Amino acid sequence: MIDINTVITGLGIAGNQVSIPLVQQMLDLLPEIPMVKLIISFILWKPFFAALICPGFTTLGILLLFFPWIERKLCGRIQWRVGPHEIVWWLGGIIQLLADSLRFLFQEVIVHKDAHRPYFLQFPFLTFIPALLPLMFIPAGNIVAIETPYAIQIILAIICLFPLFILGLGWASNSRFAFIGTVREAFMYFAYEVPFIIAVLAMIVLYGTSDPVGIANKQTIWGIILNPIAALTFFIAAAMATSRMPFEIPEADQELAAGPHVEYSGIAFGLIYVLCYEKAYVLAGLMAILFLGGGSGPAIAGLGDLSGVIWFLLKVVIVLTTLFALRTIYPRYRLDQGLSIGWGALLSLSLIALALSIVLVQGGVI
Amino acid sequence: MKKVTVQEQGLGEKVVRHATAIGVAMKESVYPLTATVFYPRERKKMPDNLRGYLMFDPDKCISCWECAFVCPANAIQMKAAPNERYYPTVDYGKCIFCHFCVDSCSGGALKTTKIHDVAYKDMDEMLTLTEEMIEEPEIIREDKKSVEYVIDEHDLHLKRVREVDTLFVEVTPPVEIPMVSQCIDRASCIGCRVCEEVCESGAISSSIERGVLRMKIDTDKCTGCGLCVKECSMQILRLVKK
Repeated sequence: MIDINTVITGLGIAGNQVSIPLVQQMLDLLPEIPMVKLIISFILWKPFFAALICPGFTTLGILLLFFPWIERKLCGRIQWRVGPHEIVWWLGGIIQLLADSLRFLFQEVIVHKDAHRPYFLQFPFLTFIPALLPLMFIPAGNIVAIETPYAIQIILAIICLFPLFILGLGWASNSRFAFIGTVREAFMYFAYEVPFIIAVLAMIVLYGTSDPVGIANKQTIWGIILNPIAALTFFIAAAMATSRMPFEIPEADQELAAGPHVEYSGIAFGLIYVLCYEKAYVLAGLMAILFLGGGSGPAIAGLGDLSGVIWFLLKVVIVLTTLFALRTIYPRYRLDQGLSIGWGALLSLSLIALALSIVLVQGGVI
Repeated sequence: MKKVTVQEQGLGEKVVRHATAIGVAMKESVYPLTATVFYPRERKKMPDNLRGYLMFDPDKCISCWECAFVCPANAIQMKAAPNERYYPTVDYGKCIFCHFCVDSCSGGALKTTKIHDVAYKDMDEMLTLTEEMIEEPEIIREDKKSVEYVIDEHDLHLKRVREVDTLFVEVTPPVEIPMVSQCIDRASCIGCRVCEEVCESGAISSSIERGVLRMKIDTDKCTGCGLCVKECSMQILRLVKK
């Protein structure tokens, strides 16, 4: 007979639990049932909780299921339309994405003759690596899967891998629209990546650390107030990186018919369709940590560690909504205009932000 | 050569314009002016003079063919009826809904309705015969509300009323000005008797008195349709007030 408590201590998951006072009493009663305590302790083990529930898979899944709907509904409201409506119309079409994903799931995946078959089928799945890996390093409150002092750099490095996979998609598609979209993606990649990295660098210089939990703890005044220029640069670069509307240059529906994704159908297209939302989620999480104080906020009574999670998610949702509402405000820029914004205004802004950070640090503000 | 140049804007003006755009978006996301009408469940309230599906009243028709003449799409054809008169048929495959026929109808026999959603199974069915135009068409109504667009000084609003809009309009008949055909220059008549043949109501008669053809217009029978005026080869007939 193995004692469950010995196993839990032996695995090293005993001391690092998510504490939720509200349900703690209920959890204390559970050891009566065998194995359940092990499962519960494992789920509540902070690294596992971060990877599986928040900010990991479950949160991402829920966001993916509902955020395209929220985006379409919000854009519809602003543009005097209704948005998704007919599926469960008395709830405003809330399960639109569920219906869409079912359709994608049962649709045939067509691989056309000219495509590079292995890469064509691999890349939609491979792209999930750079989309999901950064979630391991993003903390929600004090819950984080992998704690390292170089987390921000790692997140940046993985995000910078992202366009390579989209280039791969376009290359494997072997279609003129996909080629043009891919080349545009490559152009935009260079245009936003440098200001983006410099903007993050400005914040790292400001806080003097690149550990996300440390950064969140250091923000007695939010980063967006300390260095608004860096926040603006980061936000515009995020809009470029996720190819949202003013910079929807690689995907240009009207000209390129979705650019690199044009040849995909079925579940492969479904996976690519949610890619930009995943990337937006990661970038919004990064923005929440760098500029909006991460999971800091007034503690909600009875929720313990979950309080930070809720504040973090709230900030992420606000950033995402702002990012998605952009498409109703601005028309699409031309490629040359996008490049000139990236290499001109944005690069200058990021350099100014870096200078401002150095001045703030030298001035002893933080 | 005139060259189009981009309007130069200062940084301040640009920032103000961006802020205005974002402000409008934020305002609309809170108080949206949704302009959508959920069509099968509610219907937009149409004005009475909407140029929609045509209805026909044979009692008022004087068979003057004016609708068929005026139709720019050549959608109206006159078909002979059992009572030796000619009534219009409308081919909705050709009709462009200009309603010149309704405007030109001197007797007020053709009238418009608010029906704008008509469906046909095939092209042959689109030729609507006179009998089908007399009766009110069968409509499946699913709407519970009617919606009205209200435009005030600044914005457009949707006013929803819980009432079913009636689709058939009672048009007040046009004030009839009784007209009769009259020959203004009898000496120029060449006696072709086209006017007599073309007259539907038999108001024009001819007689030969001492080898001379004499045309006579009976003002009581004349409906003032103007067919003879149109057909007269010497153009000596005119419509005058009775």
